[in-house]
Order: sequence, then C-alpha cells, then structure tokens
Amino acid sequence: MAIEFKYKKSYPNFTLDCQFSIPGSGVTILFGPSGCGKSTLLNCIAGLEKTQQAYAKIGKTILDDKEKNIRIAVHDRRVGYVFQDSRLFSHKTVLENLLYGYQRLKQAEQNLDITQIFKTFSLDDLLGSYPHQLSGGQKQRVALARAILSRPCLLILDEPLSALDYSAKQELLPYIQTIHKEFSIPVIYVSHDIKEVLQLGDSIVLMKEGKIVDNGDLVDLCVSQPLLTEQEGASFILEGEVSKINEQEKISTVQCKEFELHLSGNILEEDQYVRILVHAKDVSLTLDKAEHSSILNIVPVEVIKIHPEKNGKHIIECCLEKTKIISVISIRSLNKLNIKPGLKLFAQFKATALVK
Amino acid sequence: MDLIQLAPILITLKLALVTTLVLLVIGTPLAWWLANTQTRYKTPIEAIVALPLVLPPTVLGFYLLIAFSPEGVVGQLWSYISDDPLTFSFTGLVIGSVIYSLPFVVQPLQASFEGIGKPLQQAAASLGAKPLDIFFSVVLPLSYRGFFVAITLGFAHTVGEFGVVLMIGGNIPGLTQVLSITIYDHVEALEYSAAHIYSAALLLFSFIVLMVAYTANRKINIRL
Repeated sequence: MAIEFKYKKSYPNFTLDCQFSIPGSGVTILFGPSGCGKSTLLNCIAGLEKTQQAYAKIGKTILDDKEKNIRIAVHDRRVGYVFQDSRLFSHKTVLENLLYGYQRLKQAEQNLDITQIFKTFSLDDLLGSYPHQLSGGQKQRVALARAILSRPCLLILDEPLSALDYSAKQELLPYIQTIHKEFSIPVIYVSHDIKEVLQLGDSIVLMKEGKIVDNGDLVDLCVSQPLLTEQEGASFILEGEVSKINEQEKISTVQCKEFELHLSGNILEEDQYVRILVHAKDVSLTLDKAEHSSILNIVPVEVIKIHPEKNGKHIIECCLEKTKIISVISIRSLNKLNIKPGLKLFAQFKATALVK
Repeated sequence: MDLIQLAPILITLKLALVTTLVLLVIGTPLAWWLANTQTRYKTPIEAIVALPLVLPPTVLGFYLLIAFSPEGVVGQLWSYISDDPLTFSFTGLVIGSVIYSLPFVVQPLQASFEGIGKPLQQAAASLGAKPLDIFFSVVLPLSYRGFFVAITLGFAHTVGEFGVVLMIGGNIPGLTQVLSITIYDHVEALEYSAAHIYSAALLLFSFIVLMVAYTANRKINIRL
C-alpha cells in the first residue's frame, strides 16, 4: 500500500506545491525549516484546508481528487491528527476524551480491545481525571490514544513532543514507537529534533519553501543529504549493528558499512541495530592519522566538496566509499590544511548511538 | 383601586421569558454563523445586529410600527397567518423586544464561540464528529458561560424596555402594559406612591439579577 499526495495552494507571497508518496507503513518524517509550509500541507492532508489542486490516495481510498470533484470531509477521512497542544476537551474526563472518536465509529468497528490500549499508554489511573489535572506528557498520551481509538488509516503527529521538557519527551517517545509496531498505522511525523527523527523515522520527506526537496528512506537520504539539519548545525547519520561490547571499558563496537565505530558509555546489546548521530562540529580533520588521540573513531576520507558557510565556517563534505562524512571547520583551518576536493584526510569524531 | 396591580408584573416577566427563549433559538445559530463565517457580509451584518445598542428605542419602535401596520410589509405577511393585527398585541411586543435585545444575546454568544476557536473543532472533526455533532458535544458545553451572560442580559434588558414597547404595544392594561410603562402612567397621573413601589421593585429586581449573574460567573471562574 502506498500513500500519494499532490497539493497546490497559492497565497499572496507563498505557494505550496507538493507532490510525493510515502510508504503505507512505518513512520515518515516531514522535515523542513519553520515557515516552509509543513502545517499547511498537514492541514491539506487532514482536509482542513481548501486548495487549488488536490489529489490524495491512501491505499485504494481516494481522499481528494479536485479534477473529479472529490473531497472527503474531515470527519469521514479517517486521518488522525495529534497536535502540539494536545487539544483535549476540557469539559470531558480522560475516559470521555478517549472514547470521543471511538463512539463515533460504526458499531461493527467498535471492536478494539480498549482496556489493552489504555494499558499500552499507561492511562488506567487517569481515566477519571480532567485534562487540567494532567501533566503535559500525560495529556499527549491521552491525545495519542484518543487518535488511535478513532481507528485512522493515517496518523499525523505534528511536533507532539515540542511542548514537553526533556524528561517528558523521553517518557513519551516509546509510546510513539509503539504506534506503528502495535497498531500498524502509517504515521506522518513532524519534528525539528534530529534525535527524535532518528529514533522514530523510517522514511523522510524534506520540504523547503513550500516544495518537496527530496523523499525516501531516512538513512539512505541522510547519507546523501548530509546538510539536512542545517538549523541545528549540520550533522550526519550512520547505521550499523553492534558487533562487540567491552564491558570493562564500557565501549560498544558498531559495524557500519565501511568501517567500525566505537561508542563509549552507551548501554547497547550485541547484534542490536543502531543509528548513530554525528554533529559536523564534532568532526575534526587531520592530514596524518593521529596515533595518540583521545578520539576513538578515526577514518580515512576523501574531500568531495567545500560548502561555504556563514560566520567564517565551512562545511567540508567528505566520503569513505559511499558513506558521507561532514565536518565544520574555520577558514583558518581550511587554509592551513589547504583543503581541496580530492584531498585525502583522516576524520576523527565522537558519536552518539540512538536506538530505534 | 388597589395600589399595586399584578398584571403588569406578570406581562413583563412573560414578555422577558418568551423574548429570551426566542432570542436563544434565533441568536445561537446567528452567533455561530458570525463566529465562523468568512464572508464579506459579516461586518454589515454585525453592524445591523448591534444597531439597537445605539438607536433611540423610539426610532426602532417607529419603523416597527410602520412595518407591523396592516399596510406594512410585515403586517401584510402576518395577515396570512393570523387575523389579529401585530400592532398593539403581545406577539408584536415579542417581535419588537427580540429585535431590541438581539445584540445582548448575540454578542456574548459570538464572543464565546470565537473564544473556543477552530483548534478544538478541528480536533473533534479529525476524530469523526460532524459539524452539528461538534456543536452539541464540544462547543455548547464549553460556552455555557456565554449562554449564561446572554440569557441574563437578554432577560434583564427586555424587562427594562420602554420606548419600543410604548411605540408598538401601546398601553393596553392586561395585554401590553408592562412595568416600565405602568410607572410612566403613574408618574403622569401624579400617583407617586404607586410609582415608587414599582420603581423600587424594578430596581431591586435588576440588582438581584445582576448580583446572581456576577456571583455565578465568579463561582464558575473559580471552579475552572
């Protein structure tokens, strides 16, 4: 099953013009700078926005087809939507909120194991409470479960963690991970947080100024588009499986495609699949392989491209066979090392593993 | 003759009650529409709804009198429904009062609906609720404070009406003679003691209504 979208909507000084498809399962990350039209696009998908051109198909169901004058109303679309602000109904208890969508399903569809879902989202003790008695994290848990109980064909999560503090985010992430695992609902997830993206995403849609820049498998795309996270400082990701664990030194060795990486302090398990986030500012370049360095990871690379950057910094794009590695360095270092495309160097860096 | 007659009090209360009910039935959808519409006619319609706030009641009463007369547009349409004339009747009084008190009901309701805003309605819609369902399951329960203010103001304002009633209702004892007009009559006839009793009663009544309204509003505020 694939999900296809095509939307066009013009404003006086902004045009949304998007055409893309996403897999019918897993989590698709919608990524782009703020103001690039993500919310407008999501509203189009949810049926909350009128457009000049519209086409949307989930599996065999057509939601929008402007040419054939088809536009399924919001309440019939089966597109679940969880917002930054949980938008719970303040006059209803948690239980009444949870059942709001479920009770509006056809009788034959009201066959979910509700108590099991309450348990999955740890809601048993909250059912009698009112929204104002809940913490931010609890509210989002209710909002997530409420959306799932309405049995959507597609679930949109628009920065559901952005209003939460760090610990609440960490607490909620596993619940979001259960959505597509346990309920097999395809998810479109919007986030600015690269860590969330790596922990949750299967595929990714990159958006800029109202247009889709690229879309596809998250890891493939992040390897070929390392500038993805310009906002937070450039970074890139690697993936691999844990091949060795040194309990004494607390170091895990991860076998990536072309080299081994050593990560310290992470509690990983052998054979576990991990994604590794590296910030370009944590990558330094040397002409010779440093034999006496505190940095664990040193790999030979070749310079491909030099991206001029603001504030006297440059992003150096290197590669090791097919793996892209990027580094942010100053103009002085650029001149000192005489970095040019084709130059062979060593990249050394610290890395953080993120478990999906 | 008894100093105090019950009829004007009963007519006043009946008029205020019926007017408030009619206003809720008409005002709620109108306020809902005004809160949600994006048409360019919104502003002129809002202005029309607000007109009774600034117009002298005699102006409104004068035009209503002309419209209600058997030769007037409304009067002629009315003649198809009923043999009784609209002018100088209780029904005419209700129609006049509804128009006169319309902004006092529509404006608090509209503000309340606008306060709930689109986000919650979008959430409800994405959960499968149709527009009318959303109105009754989300909007209505959340705007009870707006309804409370609308009912209180609509009722109290109708009780305090004078000019419009005088113009279109005349002053028929037992039919269209309301409290405010009774007071006027007594003053004209220099029966100050009766005027005093009615006036004091109306003053006390208005004060109590507003006290109850404000107290209840505060209690709701504290609870939320």
